[in-house]
Amino acid sequence: MALTGDMRPGPSHPMLPDTTELYEEAPCGYLTTLPDGEIARVNRTFRRWTGYSDEELVGRRFRSLLTLPGQIYHDTHFAPLLQMQGEVKEIAFDIVVAGGERLPSLVNITQRRNPDGRPAFNLVTVFNASDRRRYEKELLAAREAAREAAEALQQLNRELAERVAGEVDERLRAEAALRQAQKMEAIGQLTGGVAHDFNNLLTVIIGSLDGMNRLLQKMPETPEIARIRRFRDAAFQGAERAATLTSRLLAFARRQPLDPKPVDANKLIAGLSDMLRRTLGETIALETAAAADLWNAHADPNELERAIVNLAVNARDAMPEGGKLTIETGNVRFDDTCVDGPAEPVPSGQYAMIAVSDSGCGMDAETLQHVFEPFFTTKEAGKGTGLGLSQVYGFVRQSGGHVRIYSEPGLGTTVKLYLPRHMEAAAVEAATAPRPTRVAGGDETILVVEDHDELRELSRGILVELGYDVLEAHDGPSALDRLRDRPDIDLLFTDVVLPGGMNGRELADAARRIAPDLKLLYTTGYTRNAIVHNGRLDPGVALINKPFTYHGLAAKIRQVLDGTG
Amino acid sequence: MDPLVRNNVKVAGGGQQAIIFAHGFGCDQHMWRYVAPAFEPTHRVVLFDHVGNGGSHLGAWDADKYGSLEGYAQDVLEICRALEIRDAVFVGHSVSAMIGLIAAKRDPGALSRLVLVGPSPCYIDDGDYVGGFARGDIEELLQFMDSNYLGWSSMLAPQIMRNVDRPELAEELTNSFCRTDPEIAKHFARVTFLSDNRDDLEDVRTPCLILQCSDDVIAPEPVGRYVQSRLPGSELVLMKATGHCPNLSAPEETIAAIRQWL
Repeated sequence: MALTGDMRPGPSHPMLPDTTELYEEAPCGYLTTLPDGEIARVNRTFRRWTGYSDEELVGRRFRSLLTLPGQIYHDTHFAPLLQMQGEVKEIAFDIVVAGGERLPSLVNITQRRNPDGRPAFNLVTVFNASDRRRYEKELLAAREAAREAAEALQQLNRELAERVAGEVDERLRAEAALRQAQKMEAIGQLTGGVAHDFNNLLTVIIGSLDGMNRLLQKMPETPEIARIRRFRDAAFQGAERAATLTSRLLAFARRQPLDPKPVDANKLIAGLSDMLRRTLGETIALETAAAADLWNAHADPNELERAIVNLAVNARDAMPEGGKLTIETGNVRFDDTCVDGPAEPVPSGQYAMIAVSDSGCGMDAETLQHVFEPFFTTKEAGKGTGLGLSQVYGFVRQSGGHVRIYSEPGLGTTVKLYLPRHMEAAAVEAATAPRPTRVAGGDETILVVEDHDELRELSRGILVELGYDVLEAHDGPSALDRLRDRPDIDLLFTDVVLPGGMNGRELADAARRIAPDLKLLYTTGYTRNAIVHNGRLDPGVALINKPFTYHGLAAKIRQVLDGTG
Repeated sequence: MDPLVRNNVKVAGGGQQAIIFAHGFGCDQHMWRYVAPAFEPTHRVVLFDHVGNGGSHLGAWDADKYGSLEGYAQDVLEICRALEIRDAVFVGHSVSAMIGLIAAKRDPGALSRLVLVGPSPCYIDDGDYVGGFARGDIEELLQFMDSNYLGWSSMLAPQIMRNVDRPELAEELTNSFCRTDPEIAKHFARVTFLSDNRDDLEDVRTPCLILQCSDDVIAPEPVGRYVQSRLPGSELVLMKATGHCPNLSAPEETIAAIRQWL
């Protein structure tokens, strides 16, 4: 097609630039390279951009103008692509210019071949891509920021999910602990109620048997009397066993009156070891590991002995083939982070710990759920009462402590008792010394206050027999009337729980206002509120537990009257 | 998965002995297009793409398996088994040279002769050893790939398509070969350039031909000589061809060198 007039190229029109000028001044770099990449020709724009002279560029390989990563990319992508498809478009290279700076560029290359098909030369165009590269970098940065934001969001979601799961676990644990505590409390209420009523009956039975005994002693010895005596003995033994049972039930129900004292558990265990060895038999070795500087526990030493013996008996029964029983002691601090286990919550603080471990058959998780419940036993019928661990549990909980049990089937069991540390420096009693009992009466005046008629009659009978002058009342107000009439009364013997709107303690307080020197002895099947604060006796308060015996009451009355109890 | 599908295996020619051509980093089996046909009259010619490249099955890609050259060598041997190939000639370009060496050590009966085109057992300088690069150079290469058009376009093309202010960016790509998922390409670059396979040069019993180009910035001549020194009985041919891809820039010289050695 012929070009006409002003549109014709070249110098034919003096006002128009020729193609050389278009080539040299184009808004892109033009290079011609040989098949091996050597630069043969380069335009002014490229020279201006790079700051290199014609001489510096011609004869040099195009690749050598690139950064090192660019050179790698050139040889692994750019050059192979050119060979395979004859052209490559818009490869992003950084060209290193004369001053050392980088010129972001987009490079296109087209291969020209000879008639025989061999590569002849390449046409290279280079665009200044500074703006575009900036734009790309912004896009890449935005993409990276979006990716990071998405990751952060995912991370947040994961953390939220973990926190929710953690909270749910925590809540479930707390609910399980609460359920366990409620269950034990309910069993305790039931057990305690039954045991209390049963105790009153036992007191009547034992007292009556006592009375029968005293009568029998005054009767001539005939075969009939001998038979009656044997029946009486059998009945008495049965009643005593029943009394032991109710005291254990009360222990579980945390309604036994405790007499806590500072106890050195190490000494207490040492004192028990002979008895424990006999209990365990020859096939079971006893080891003790006593912690030095063990804190004194604040607990009832008699009950603590019973607890340790109960644990030892359980351990023995778990090791029929023999084994090893280990008793360890140690000081433990519970802080807020470790008291919230799956078991019932425990206040943080300092505890003296006694751990009893056996190498026996162990227990599974299901069994562990129930071990502290009264009458739960894994032993054969007739071999265990199911009350041993109940006593341990009730005693320790009532003492403000905590029991943990660890067991694996086939590996053995460890029961840990945590008793609160005794914080006052005080005389330490390893265990209560055996109480001297003597049957001695007197001639003092005693006021017996008891709403249960048979019990009151029984007590009165014993005290009269012992030589005392006895007055009776069935509730608080009538007892106070008696006191006003008879200011010579020496001792008030009262049940703790009384009808008529006044309990034993309130009666005692009112009585002391009338007769300040009046001596006091309480009796109870269990005491929850009036006498025992949190299961502890008020200092100086004398108490005799129902059911009591003739000898027991006689001795206690004498102790109180003499001021030795 | 069938290795012949997974690796996009193509078989041509009808000789007794098989000759397997393996591509290196940055491309696919097309880079043998000027060399492989020359062997079809005399050999059973096998071409394939490493997983993650060319026409391979991208679903088979696994960052762990292909985190070292071992995974790629395993694929080569699986291809040999699938084609019932024994005593093959293996021609490996660039990183595939080392992949072939590892495969031959695992199963010397499968690959009985190796042609190593521009091999490098380790690209990073290490004490007296000169690989040609510092670790920082390779990190820069990975960044470079991020901003490079080939990788860049497939990541950002959809956004650019919607950019009405810059319609020229929506121009269709014409660099049709060597395209791959940019993340896989970067992973392959990392494995290729950061691996140290110098220990794999020990106890190689397979005869080897080393083709060393002039002015190869990726596998410089000292590296080729190092490889020869570690492979007793190997032959080194210094080629007139420049750059890293004599199979594309000087196919006749490459064909002749291989033929002469075979």
